[in-house]
Amino acid sequence: MYCITDEQIEYILSDIRRNGVDTEDLQLNLLDHICCIIEQELKVDDDFERFYHATVKRFYRRELREIEEETINLLTYKNFYAMRKVLIACGAFSVFAFISGSVFKFMYWQGASALLTLGIGSFSLLFLPLLFLLKAREAKAASDKFVAALGCAVGAMFSIAILFIVQHWPGANMLLFSSIAIAAFVLLPAYFFTGIRKPEARMNTIVVSIILVGVIGLQFTLVNLRPSRSQQKIKMDNYVQGELLLKQLQATPGSKDAAAIDALCEQVKALVLEHSIGQRSIPADYEQTQLLLKEGSLGPEFANNGSGVQLLENLRQAFGKYTAAGGNADLQQIVSRSILRTDPGEMEKIYSNLSVLESINQLQTHLALAEHSKAVAVK
Amino acid sequence: MIFSSELIKGTLKTIVLKLLADNKKMYGYEMTQRVKELTGERIQLTEGALYPTLHALEEEGMVTTELEYIGKRVRKYYKLSAAGKGRTKERVNELADFMETMKLLLDIQPKTA
Repeated sequence: MYCITDEQIEYILSDIRRNGVDTEDLQLNLLDHICCIIEQELKVDDDFERFYHATVKRFYRRELREIEEETINLLTYKNFYAMRKVLIACGAFSVFAFISGSVFKFMYWQGASALLTLGIGSFSLLFLPLLFLLKAREAKAASDKFVAALGCAVGAMFSIAILFIVQHWPGANMLLFSSIAIAAFVLLPAYFFTGIRKPEARMNTIVVSIILVGVIGLQFTLVNLRPSRSQQKIKMDNYVQGELLLKQLQATPGSKDAAAIDALCEQVKALVLEHSIGQRSIPADYEQTQLLLKEGSLGPEFANNGSGVQLLENLRQAFGKYTAAGGNADLQQIVSRSILRTDPGEMEKIYSNLSVLESINQLQTHLALAEHSKAVAVK
Repeated sequence: MIFSSELIKGTLKTIVLKLLADNKKMYGYEMTQRVKELTGERIQLTEGALYPTLHALEEEGMVTTELEYIGKRVRKYYKLSAAGKGRTKERVNELADFMETMKLLLDIQPKTA
């Protein structure tokens, strides 16, 4: 039996590495295997190097790294099946969570927002990236991989935008616009021009492109459905009229409690206006300066226990105290139908800036009327 | 006559599993030698097919490994795992059925031709 030296072992190992076998496990396996052959078959007087090179040639057709490539192929092929299973399970789970979340939201049941976040989150951050990995493996050309990556990224962005919209999170519109814009101006041309070049995929590419244009167009129409400037102006004018009416009613000073409620109301309105138009009240010359109060969100002060939430809570208590003390059943009913019936922490999710402003104005008007009738009764 | 590698490819996993079922633990070179010996040199496992298969079986959890240090080299022994034992039976039975079917198929074909 030939006795192999440490130097010869080093020589074989570095040759295996030089020939492109990078997996350590495989290097060691091959090294031991070659050593065994040499020990068994090499005569003491024979030339080691020549024998080694002749032996290692038997291991491959073109080059030694074929063994490593074959190993990687076998391992990834197995992962491929596992990935496909995860993909299907993950897709089914996402869709189930998303649809049941929507039903929960519709029925005002607890857990709707968790289900929606989980469903859309796993759809866009797990299902779509996995889908891309599988598609990228099937795709041969780099351009096909790019289209697959872009398609999955736009899909993920679009679904996250939908999640932001239903959860009333900031930045939702920007996400939605960006995903529609990328889909229209990057994804669609990239998809169309890579597909149209292949004769076998031409018809399919044209049909899918038309569907894509249709879907993007429909989305754009939906986004475009927001009220026009003139409609918004009418709403703003109505609100300003309401304010004027209120000011006239408040000309006669009321009780101390009513004044305290009014002060709270004014603070809430100022906070809402500050977020919407950057000023704490609507200036008299708003028409000249073309200032527009757009219908939108309440602002961050009305979320997460902000100052707005606190003010609304105080207002609710103050009204409660006022109606209880005065025994005013009508006003009590009016309050119970107003925005104050909602938990202040939840208001930001439900009401727009305009609806809160209008509702508070109405409450103040009713309060002024109640004070007025009290004064008449005393006389 | 030495069998072609195409014929051996589909049965390699079964051969390795059966070898390990009959021997407690084996390393790569030992397997090639044993197969050569058992088949009168008619089946020669190539290194290029054997090692990828062994790695795949390890990844699938069909075999476990054990390292032995011999001076500067490391010898990797392969052993059947519990899951591998079950799989060996299945695969050997499947291959036996397949051979029966092939026999039938190949006997019939000359008559119909």
